[in-house]
Parts: sequence; structure tokens; C-alpha cells
Amino acid sequence: MAAIEPHAQLRRSFVYRKLRDLGARFETVNSGAVAIDFGKAAAEMETANLLGLADLSPLPRTGFKGAGAVEWLQSQGLQIGAESNRGYRQPGGELALRLAPSEIFLIDSLAGSGALIERLNQAWSWGSEKPRKLIGYPMPRADSHAWFALSGRAAPEMFAKICGIDLRLDKFEGGRIAQTSIAKMSGIILRQDQGATPVFHLLADSASADYLWEALLDAMAEFGGAPVGLSALRGLA
Amino acid sequence: MTSMVETGGVNRLPDSFGRLIDRKRRVAFSFEGREIEGFAGDTIAAALAANDQWVLSRSFKYRRPRGILTMAGQDSNTLVQIGAEPNVLADRRIIEPALGVMGQNYDGSLEADRGNVIELFGRFLPVGFYYKTFYKRGSWKFWEKIIRGRAGLGKVDLAAHHGYFDKQYLFADVAVVGGGPAGLSAALQAAEAGAEVILIDEWPALGGSLCYARLGREGDAAFNLAEKLAAQVKAKGNIHVLSDATCTGWFADNWLAIVKGSRFYKLRARSVVMATGSLEQPAVFRNNDLPGVMQGTAAQRLIRLYGVRPGRKAVVLAANDDAYGVALDLGDAGCEVQAVVDLREQVPETAMVHATRGRGVPILAGYAVTEAIPGTAKLGILGAAAARIAREGETDGAAAVFECDLLCMSTGYSPAGQILHHAGTKFTYDHAANMFQPAILPPHVFAAGSVNGTYAMEAVLAEGRRIGWAAAQDAGFARGTEPPAVTGDRGSFGQTHAWPIFPHKAGKDFVDFDEDLQVKDLVNGIADGYDDIELLKRYSTVGMGPSQGRHSAVAAVRVLAKETATDLATLSVTTQRPPYVPEKFGHLAGRVFEPERHTAMHHRHHELGARMMVAGLWYRPAFYGKPEDRDQAIREEVQAVRSNVGLIDVSTLGGLDIRGPDAAEFLNRLYTFTYAKQPVGRSRYVLMCDQTGAIIDDGVACRIHDEHFYVTATTSGVDGVYRLMLQWNAQWRLDVDVANVTAAYAGVNIAGPRAREVLAKVCHDVDLGPEAFPYMGVRLGSVAGIPARLLRVGFVGELGYEIHAPASQGEALWDALMAAGGTAGIRPFGVEAQRVLRLEKGHIIIGQDTDGLTHPFEADMAWAIAKNKAYFMGGRSIAIQTARPLTRKLVGFTLEDPSAPVPEECHLTVRNGEITGRVTSAVRSPTLDRVIGLAYVAPDQAAEGANFDIKIAGGRLIKGRVVKLPFYDPETKRQEM
Repeated sequence: MAAIEPHAQLRRSFVYRKLRDLGARFETVNSGAVAIDFGKAAAEMETANLLGLADLSPLPRTGFKGAGAVEWLQSQGLQIGAESNRGYRQPGGELALRLAPSEIFLIDSLAGSGALIERLNQAWSWGSEKPRKLIGYPMPRADSHAWFALSGRAAPEMFAKICGIDLRLDKFEGGRIAQTSIAKMSGIILRQDQGATPVFHLLADSASADYLWEALLDAMAEFGGAPVGLSALRGLA
Repeated sequence: MTSMVETGGVNRLPDSFGRLIDRKRRVAFSFEGREIEGFAGDTIAAALAANDQWVLSRSFKYRRPRGILTMAGQDSNTLVQIGAEPNVLADRRIIEPALGVMGQNYDGSLEADRGNVIELFGRFLPVGFYYKTFYKRGSWKFWEKIIRGRAGLGKVDLAAHHGYFDKQYLFADVAVVGGGPAGLSAALQAAEAGAEVILIDEWPALGGSLCYARLGREGDAAFNLAEKLAAQVKAKGNIHVLSDATCTGWFADNWLAIVKGSRFYKLRARSVVMATGSLEQPAVFRNNDLPGVMQGTAAQRLIRLYGVRPGRKAVVLAANDDAYGVALDLGDAGCEVQAVVDLREQVPETAMVHATRGRGVPILAGYAVTEAIPGTAKLGILGAAAARIAREGETDGAAAVFECDLLCMSTGYSPAGQILHHAGTKFTYDHAANMFQPAILPPHVFAAGSVNGTYAMEAVLAEGRRIGWAAAQDAGFARGTEPPAVTGDRGSFGQTHAWPIFPHKAGKDFVDFDEDLQVKDLVNGIADGYDDIELLKRYSTVGMGPSQGRHSAVAAVRVLAKETATDLATLSVTTQRPPYVPEKFGHLAGRVFEPERHTAMHHRHHELGARMMVAGLWYRPAFYGKPEDRDQAIREEVQAVRSNVGLIDVSTLGGLDIRGPDAAEFLNRLYTFTYAKQPVGRSRYVLMCDQTGAIIDDGVACRIHDEHFYVTATTSGVDGVYRLMLQWNAQWRLDVDVANVTAAYAGVNIAGPRAREVLAKVCHDVDLGPEAFPYMGVRLGSVAGIPARLLRVGFVGELGYEIHAPASQGEALWDALMAAGGTAGIRPFGVEAQRVLRLEKGHIIIGQDTDGLTHPFEADMAWAIAKNKAYFMGGRSIAIQTARPLTRKLVGFTLEDPSAPVPEECHLTVRNGEITGRVTSAVRSPTLDRVIGLAYVAPDQAAEGANFDIKIAGGRLIKGRVVKLPFYDPETKRQEM
């Protein structure tokens, strides 16, 4: 796919200027400009295994919450377990993060086709039944939250500098979610490894994305961590 | 005698000594401007001692020369200044190339201090000096200059560079504090039981006292044991060792604060083993503070850790067997031991005593050192006077003087129990051991080794194993067999002398080196009535210096017990609080995480030359232009909106989606207006009051669907409003979902007579005509292909559309509108212009024109209160308030004198010298060309045309006149175009 300028798209990452300044090459994924790499594919793979930071903000995501939300999503074919604070992997690779008994944050797979998310957004409506069947309410998660992924074996130690949750690999297994404070911001952490490489998805206030990006890079520096493109992250699988 | 090696200093010992130094790497630094050479791994004090520099600094009060006391960073004698960094522990800071080290607390030079003259006036500085001096009127005036000139330790550089400090969390099943034999043994056993262990140790090498002390006659037995244990620890995969790290405090739920370099660790452990060891205590005699007088363990550290000979001729003041280890070590290091002066009448003939005698060293049993004989300018000592002990604390007076430049004190220990104290451990005094010992430990906290009164090495190791296992079990691990309990003698008897205090009639017998407190100071303080240890501490300042009583607390309690004829067992040392050692502000601050919130158009504002202002965490454009052009820029922005078209970023406004069958009822209860019959496609003003009836927020509620309201809130108020909504939703149990979508929506307000024309260029799916989309209408549509919620609002008093769109597309929305408005001359405007525009229109800003007590009737907002609602938040309070006469009223005003200055916010409105209210907003209106404002005035001055006085800066009174609101477009035709 041809490289593009991020501001050519209507939908833009909250940190696209920072990515551009770091030499990112952008590609369109589902009408969003994603930093696909920084021009050093092999080195980025190595970094991703050690400690990489990828901006996935342009990839599709949505959310549903309120009475009946989970049941409705299950009726739409989503596989969602009973336990909260777990991420449930869907057949297409999407992840349904159950934040609470009646709240789901749905993030796309790294392919970013957005098919499931688009289908759900289209399927949801107020309906005309009286009384209306309660099916929860959609949440604008693609805009309320920036989406970063931290990959690599040094990620737990890096997180220990900015977050009070014990994210060591043997203590915080894949699929677990922490809703916590990260560098003094509220955020959601989901561990979902890519192949053998630990990956932590980080969802936090989109308005503070600039700040969080810098705070993460600062915390990563001592481990030799650096930004990586989506391509490196995909390559870990 | 071992031959001396000149390299690395005249006192440097051969290779077999100095475990922490690397003789292959020489390091040059300076002390007091003089170049000094040491080896990598040397501390400043070690390198200076190797080069025969024994004076490090001067004492705080009397400016007495001070040198090495502990070589363990436990005292204030070694505080030095390195560049901008004051109070560096010279006996712990490792030397680096080109380090510039200076002594502290002197005028002139370190070795010839002009300030030392104060010692001559010591008798005019009695204990409790502040208490006795400053109750007299005028005394501060006399003393202030003197005290300010001498106050403080070291020099603070106010322009000092900010260092890089950070923090990190750590987690462990078992945390072991202290890497001595007990700690190593405990860590190994806990790890063996299956626990994940973190071992925290202050030193670069594990082993604690094993690294420098002497176990029996053979000098290397201790070190061999240290190496063996350290190797076992290293081989354990589940022990994480933090070396060079100091645990500075224990907090609730086993939260340990740890400082290592520039990092502050926050460790949470399920159970904690304190194996912090013990602190050797100085004996008290005249001149016990001078350079050359040091603890026996300090001399051993110099010899074994740094390969430095502590002196040429030595006397050892003894009261335990370890003192003989010191004497043997000094001999091994080529130091001539003149005598061992033993406080004990009967000296047990142990192997080390026997070996000492074997070397021909005289042992004076039942003797005390009464005085160290000072050398020139007290920069060192020339000898030690010893006399036979007649009774407790007294000698028969006939002193023999031994020539020496080193006097080592080995008369006893006190548990390093500070962190155990933090955890709430109770300590009691054991008369048999002459030491305080932990008696009751809190849950999940354990103690092992000499901090627990266990000194015999086999017992220490066994106790470490036992306690390590117990701690692991407490943390939920119990693999392996429980080690047996330690029984029998743990070696605490005979370690510490009951009364190593020998006051001298000429004084200078220091109990507290930090504060230069002598025995008589404490005695006098007690005589003054401060006969409780906590009172005595504050009165005399004993234990209040940098070393926090580590070497003075026990001696002070002993003196107190004697003077008050109290049993020591009924007393305790003063309360110990964190931190155990000083923490820098940098450690506490860490990386200073200060989140900022940027709107989607943030960078566009910068590109357009905006001056930003802070609103909570948000950054908003105040105005566009250079700071020096501020007023002109604001005027032009106002004019653009009034006469053409402007665009403002309103993304920071709060946005709340209220959805569900009971959404209207929910708003009815929370806000003062009614919403049940509000049509879909319309917005309505919302005013929120708290339970006391005070105004707390406002905005608009846009009905997007019968069950869906999109409610705006103020930038700074939305988080509080959201919290209230969640709280009341949980309480009322209505069928409503509340979502704070502030960050999800970017927002702009395109305002001005040409707003419709510009918007129409990029909005094709909404009929923007005044009938189809009237004032206060709400529509869903798209702008430049971006899905949007469009609101017709009138905050600035012109035709305007607020457009709320997904944040990820906010920048594209801004770009599209700026491009569409290009030919019309659209101008971005900032918060400052908006404030002027809204004031011209008479709209209030919550928090600026209201305060924490303003109720709606005072603010002339009665129109926003529904008359026939059964309930709304604050309604009952408002009803009560309105039944009473008003005490103030918010009015619009202008000035009678057009040339009078613009009043500032919070300038008072007054009548006959009494305050009646205050100005809340005021500006010279560019549109109306006169001063306009809002102010609280007395109710009887609130009628249109009434005059009132405003007291402006300098106390001048100017005349205001009440004007009917709004100031601009009273028929509101412009916003409804």
C-alpha cells in the first residue's frame, strides 16, 4: 500500500505529528492513517521484542454499555465470558474487553478491517418496540480513547515506573485487564501477547495522548525502547 | 607488620585489604581545592583518609573539626558539599573523576575556621536557648542576623540544575531489608520455601558486618562466610537483590520506600524481614568528637573495605569482644596498638582477648577513657587519658595518657530498629543485654539478627533461616521443612556496656554530635523540667539533627533515667518516623507526571499564533497574536464575530450522553428547569445547584432522541457533574445510562452574521435556514463529510452554530471550516474574546460570576427555575433562601465616568465603608465603547439606574451605574437570525 500523509485523512491519530517527526511511514487502514513503520523494519522487530511502542489509535474500536449491552452483543455472535476485567478474543481476532458486567470495549484485530465493529455500529438502533428492549448504548471509544500497544519483554518493568499494578508476566497473565492510573492518568491495560512476545494494549484519554506518548518514551528510554510501526507488531504473531 | 603501599595515599594498605576498591583504576578529585587521588570504589572519606586528610567538616553549633565516626553514613560528621549539592555523606559517596568536594560549616578555611570562636562563648548558649531567649521582647531583633548567618547545613544553590529522578514500583512475596548474615540467611530460606524475594542492602557488596568485622582469631573467616552466602543468593533465581539501596521507611500494608541513586522505589511485599543489624554506639568522654576518635567498626571498614590504615598509633576503648577484633585488625593493618582500655572489670579470656595479649598489647580492665587529648587546633588527637573506674560514670581521677592519633570506641550497640519503629514495633529495654530490643512485632513483619538482639554468628544464621521460613509462610509459601527455633544464648549479653558515659568537669563530652550537646546540657534540660524524653528532645534538640539520634538516643535515655531515678525499662527512645535517611525532593517528586489535555485542534492553534491559557488540565487559545498585541487582537476577534464570522474551539466543554427511558426524569431531578416535554431536536438551558441551593454548573441539554439527551457542562465543572450524576443515578435507580463523552467530541462554535453562509459551504445534509433550524435547535448531520451534532446556541450573542464531531476528526473539521470561511475572512477567536462577547450579552460564567454560595435568585437566574416541579437538586434550599430577603444581587453595570479605569475582578462594591459585594467581570467593550461589567451589589442598589461605589486599586472610589442586561442586542435579534 502506498505511503500517505496523515493529514490527508479526515480521521487522524492523536499523535500523528509526533510519529511524523520520528520518520513514520503512514498507510491507510480502514480510512485511518496508521504509522506502519519507521523505515527500519528488521530493527523494529527487534525493538518490538525488547520494548516497542506502537500507536494503534487510527484502528477501529467501539464500545457498548448499559443494561442489556452484553446480552445484545452475545446475540450478535460475540463470545464474551462472565468475568469482568478480562479480554475475550473473537474469531476474527477482535478483542472484547469486559470492563464491567454491563460494559464492553471492543478493539479490532491488528488487521484493522473494522468489519465486526462496523456491523455492530450499524446493527445498533433505538428500535421501535414498546417498551423498548434494552440493548445497551454505543460508546464513542474510537474518539474518547487513544490506543497504544507496548510490546516486548521489558514492558512490565517499564510499566512499573508509571503504574502501580503488578504487571510482571507471571503475575498478570494474557487476557487480564487493569483499569488503573498510568503516569497519573486513568487508563485501561489489556495483556494480549502476539506470538511469544508480551503485548500490553493501553487505552487512555485521547485528549492526553500527546502527554502519555512522551511519558511512555521517557519511561522506556533506559531499556532501549522505541516507537515501532504496526508492521512490527503484526510481525510478532 | 605489613609493609605500606604508597600508591593511592600514604595510608593505603596492601592488596589483601580493600574489598570495595579497584586498584587498577585511579580516580582524581579535589577536596578544598586540593587534588586527591583515590581508587575506584573509594568513598570520599576513605580516599581522604588514605591521603592523611582526617578533618572532613565542622560541627553545626561550635564549629568543632569533625572527621570519620562510623564510615557507614550514619552520622553528620562527614557531611560535605559537592557543587550545588549540600550535605553529601562523605563516607558513602563514591569518588568520581573531577568531583569538587568542600567541607561545610566554616568561615575562612576548613582547618582555620573564624567561626570556631563561638565555642568560647558556649556557656552563653545554654540548653533550651530558644526557649530561654525569645520570649523576651526584642531578642529576635538582636539574634536574627547572627542566627540567619549560621543557620542551615551547607549551601543551597537556588539556580541548581534539576536532576533526573524517577520512581518505580516493586513487588515481592517477601522483602528482606539488610544484606548481612541474618538477611542473607532469611532471603535464602524464604526463597527455598518458594517465595519471590527482594533483598535490599545499602552496600555495594552483600555480607553486612561479615565484610569488615572479624570472626575469631582468623581474620578472613567472616568474609569467607559472606562470599559463600552471597554466592548462594546469586544462584537463587527467585531472589532479586537491590544493592546500594536504602530502605527509608515502612508504611501501611508493607509498603517500603527505597532510595537507590536517583530512583525512588515503592515496594509492596506480603511480608517483610527486617535484618537491619545494629548501630555501634559512641562512648561519652571529653573530646570524644574530634577527628581521630572513631568507632571500632569504622576503623575496620577503613581497613577491610577500603584498604586504609585508620591511624599510626591507636588506643581501643573496649567493652566487648569485638573490640579485641578491632585491636587485632589494627595490628594487622600496621597500626601500633598502645592499649586496650576495657570498661569491664572482668575481661573474659576469649580467643581474641588471648590473641591480643599475645601481641603484647596492654589490657587495662576496669578502666575508662576520660579524655581525648586534642592536637593543634583540635584537628586531631595526640593521646587518650585513661583512668580506673570508681563507680558508674566516674573514675578515680588518676589518669594515664597513652600517645595515639587514633582512638577506637567499641563499647556497645543499639538495634538499627528505625524501620521496625515505623511499622509500629514495640521495643523494651533488656537490662541483661543493656539494649533496647523489639518486643512486639506487627503482623507480617519479622526481625532477625542483631536488630533482634541476636549476635552470636551461628544463632544469627539460624534465626535468619527460621525467620525467612516464617515470612515465606506468612506470604503463603511453605515448601520444605520448618527450621528449628533458636534456643539458648543468642549472644546479646556482653555486647553493650550499661554506662559508657564519663562526663568531664570541663565538658565537651558529647552525647549528640549533630547538635553539639554535652552531658551537662541534658542534665540541665532535665533540671529545667523537661523530664520526658520527647520533651527533652524538643527542648535540647537531642536527636533532631541529620543522624536523627542514631548515636544519641540511647545515651540520652540513659542520662534521663539516671537524673530522674527511673528504671530504664519503663522508658523508650523517642518516636522514630520516616525517612530513615534523608530523601531528596527529587526522589519524592520523581518524574512529576502532570497530564495535559489538548483538543484535536491544539496544534492548529499554535500554527495560527495562539497564546494558550490553562483551564484545568486543558490548554485553550486565549487569543491569537503576539503578547504585546493582546488587547488589539482581542478587539479584532470580537469585531470579527460581531460583524463577520469567527471560529472558536469549544472542545473543552463537557459532554455527557444521558440515555434511557428515564433520561428526561433524570435531568428533571438534577437541573432546575423542566425537560420532560422538551421536543426532540431542541436544546434547553440547564442550571445545576448543589444541595445547599448554590449554583455549581450550567450548559444546555440537547434532545437527540426521546431517550437521549446530549448535555453540555462547563470545562472545569464536567468531572464533578459526572460524579454527581453517577452518584444520584445509583441512588435513584432510574433506568438511565450516563456517559462522559467530553474527550470523544471536538467542538467548534462558528459565530457571526456570516456563519450560516460559511457553514452552508460544507454542510449539505442539514437545512440551515432560520425556520428549518431555528435558535436553540439541534440537528444531526455532517460537516465536510464528518458526522456532527449541530447546536444553534447564542453564548456570544450572534448567529452561531456549535458543531460537535468525533475528536479524531476534529482537526479535519477545523481545517474544513477555516477553508470554507477563507473568502469570507473567517477569523479564529479565543477565550478572551469570547468572554468579552458573552459579557456584552450579559451571560454569566459559573465560577467567575458566581461563587460557592451564590443561589439562583442572587444571580438573577430565577427564570431558569421551574415553578411546578416536585423535586430538583437544591430546590428545597432555594425555596428557603428565597423566603428570606436577598443580601446581594448580581447586576450589570457601567461607569458614570467614561474615562475611569476598568475595575478588576474582585474589586469591592462598598457603601459608607461597608462591603456590599464585588465586581465579578468587567471590560471595556469594543462593541459598545464603554466599560461594562457584572457586580454584586446591595439589593436596594440593584434597580436599573441606581448608583453604587466600586473601590478600585489604591482605594479610589469610582461610581458604577446599574444597567439592564443584556448590554448588547437587548431584543436578541442577532442570535436568532
